[in-house]
Amino acid sequence: MSGSTALRLAATDNVATALRDLEAGEVVEIEDQRIELLERIPLCHKLALADLAPGTPVTKYGQPIGRTTTAVARGAHVHVHNMKSARAQAPRPAR
Amino acid sequence: MRPFLGFRRASGRPGVRNHTLVLSVTGLTTPAARRIARSLNGVVVLGTQHDSGLLGYDRKVHRGALAAFACHPNVGGVVVIGANAPVVEQVAAAAEAAGRLVEAITLDACGHDVLTLSDKALRAAAGFVHGLSHQRREELPPAGLLLGLECGRSDPSSGLVANPLVGAVVDRLVDAGGAAIFGETTEWIGAEEPLVRKARDATVAERLKAAAARRESMAQAAGIDLTGNNPSQTNIDAGLSSIEEKSLGAIAKAGSRPIQGVIGYGEPPPGPGVWAMDAPAYAPESLTGFSTAGANMALFTTGVGNSYVSALMPTLKLTGNPATARRVGQQLEFEASAVFTGEESLDAAADRMVDRLLEIASGALTWGEILGEGDEAISRFGAVL
Repeated sequence: MSGSTALRLAATDNVATALRDLEAGEVVEIEDQRIELLERIPLCHKLALADLAPGTPVTKYGQPIGRTTTAVARGAHVHVHNMKSARAQAPRPAR
Repeated sequence: MRPFLGFRRASGRPGVRNHTLVLSVTGLTTPAARRIARSLNGVVVLGTQHDSGLLGYDRKVHRGALAAFACHPNVGGVVVIGANAPVVEQVAAAAEAAGRLVEAITLDACGHDVLTLSDKALRAAAGFVHGLSHQRREELPPAGLLLGLECGRSDPSSGLVANPLVGAVVDRLVDAGGAAIFGETTEWIGAEEPLVRKARDATVAERLKAAAARRESMAQAAGIDLTGNNPSQTNIDAGLSSIEEKSLGAIAKAGSRPIQGVIGYGEPPPGPGVWAMDAPAYAPESLTGFSTAGANMALFTTGVGNSYVSALMPTLKLTGNPATARRVGQQLEFEASAVFTGEESLDAAADRMVDRLLEIASGALTWGEILGEGDEAISRFGAVL
């Protein structure tokens, strides 16, 4: 993790983890990509590596960790405000 | 892996401690157990809040756990007190068969006077502390160690550093003939694929998936949103967004060696290697599942900090979060910030951590032991009368 500001755990991941508090406007380099941050990303929180349409699986560790609930722009903070677990969702109440 | 200095037992796993335990096996006598322990230096006290209303599987687990406390590898002697003579006798008989020093005292035998019971128990426990202090540690192979693997108040650094580090230590112990148990079944949800890849065979794979699916159904049936419960609000504030993300980080604790089987809550693993315990995720109950399975130590990772430890298993607490390491130093036996910042390899940190583990196994005290943050909490499973 030497010298990097964010870490992508698997090549197929569409999010990376901040290795320190990152500020809006900072540029994160992941392999050959340069991502300009649209907002502050606190230590250990996630940033989007691509523009994600609503309902897109969010992948970390090469595995799905939920789906986006809104459109998420490259460089945005990805968290519970714009993604949701796809597991253990309570069945919808009967109408 | 080097040998450690421990206490050889007549049967079963070696002790990394040689505690005198004051154990109350009925809720009525637990305050008395605390009084007895307050009056002595160097005893561990445990007590239940329950007894006669327990039914079925709940009762079986509860009674089994009380006997397992009395027979724990780290217990050299136990004073069993209680208001239910058959239960006191059953627990005392199990400890005696395991070669422990035992004194069984019932309220019935004290004319139902709790001060008489306290006096008798205090004298017995004082005698055990005195006697056990004359026993000496000897060099023992690490193959006798069974580790319980726990994470609590996790953050994304747990999945990046501390949990993989525990996994690397588990790999080293398993290669030396030792054993480890991971539990927290809710934290298998979303990580089934990588977990099942490590299953020893198809039957174990199916059991892992079925256990995760059963927990998922329990959450759904309760009608709750798991987000906010697990991950908790603390986990979420620290950056974990979903149970899938938390689980994928959590399972790294189990290392890379094959998962030998799925065991029930508090059940001793039937052999060496890595075992999955189908158990609740909350740390006090989860750790007690491991201690009653006979684990002599726990490795416990944390993201933001977690003061809780097992009363019976010395608990090696560690973090990979540099901010946490600065904030709660007197909670942590080991910190791996240098792995997080890229200044140390995971392998080098695992070697350092093995040394720390063997030091603690050989008698070095943990912060949790010094500060008295330990307890045991037996999971409850059903209705009571």
